[in-house]
Amino acid sequence: MATLTIGVFSSLVGSMSLDFAVKLAEAARKKGHDVNVWVSGNATMLSKKGQRSFKDYSSLNKTVESLLAEGAEFCACEACAEARGYKKDDTMENWQRHSMDWYLAKCAKSDKILHIGGE
Amino acid sequence: MKLGVILTESKRTEDTFERLQADKLSVVLAGNGIYHAVIKENGNTSKVLDKAADFYVLTEDLESRGFTSADLVDAKIKQVNYDGLVDLIMDEHDKFVWL
Repeated sequence: MATLTIGVFSSLVGSMSLDFAVKLAEAARKKGHDVNVWVSGNATMLSKKGQRSFKDYSSLNKTVESLLAEGAEFCACEACAEARGYKKDDTMENWQRHSMDWYLAKCAKSDKILHIGGE
Repeated sequence: MKLGVILTESKRTEDTFERLQADKLSVVLAGNGIYHAVIKENGNTSKVLDKAADFYVLTEDLESRGFTSADLVDAKIKQVNYDGLVDLIMDEHDKFVWL
């Protein structure tokens, strides 16, 4: 199979672009593709530990947790997270935190890239 | 080049979208972009649909907004779900962009 890297520069948890990115990652994993997801800006909120799920409210962390367990890689921009007060201890298990080099390196080694801009 | 565009805006798209060119162009209407597939204004379909391209609408986003295939305003628009979108991205196009 092939490798898909998705870069998400979207808004906060609950944003349609973030929803889209995680659902696409899930569909790609189901098809056997390797998936890397980079989150930047407010999307780094997706990596925050302790998110609560509420009825009728977009909640992605369960899906992300299962994708991580299946080998997908999720990485939050360290600078963007720190700028928003998310320390390493605030980060969900198995999430990575790096500078944008990680994203560029993954893009260089991917078959396809989808860069989702901000809202 | 075979280019795919994921259009998520329901507002008019004079600039980037209208200037896009490719040997083969596919447009995937997702998010609020699905409204281009189901709404007519003054009896006219969206200008987006005038583009020379293959058109798809993301089923999950269509249905979560209360529409079905019966609401599509043009027969050329094909439905695709996330599963099919992965194939469009990974196998059938060189690049995909998000607008």
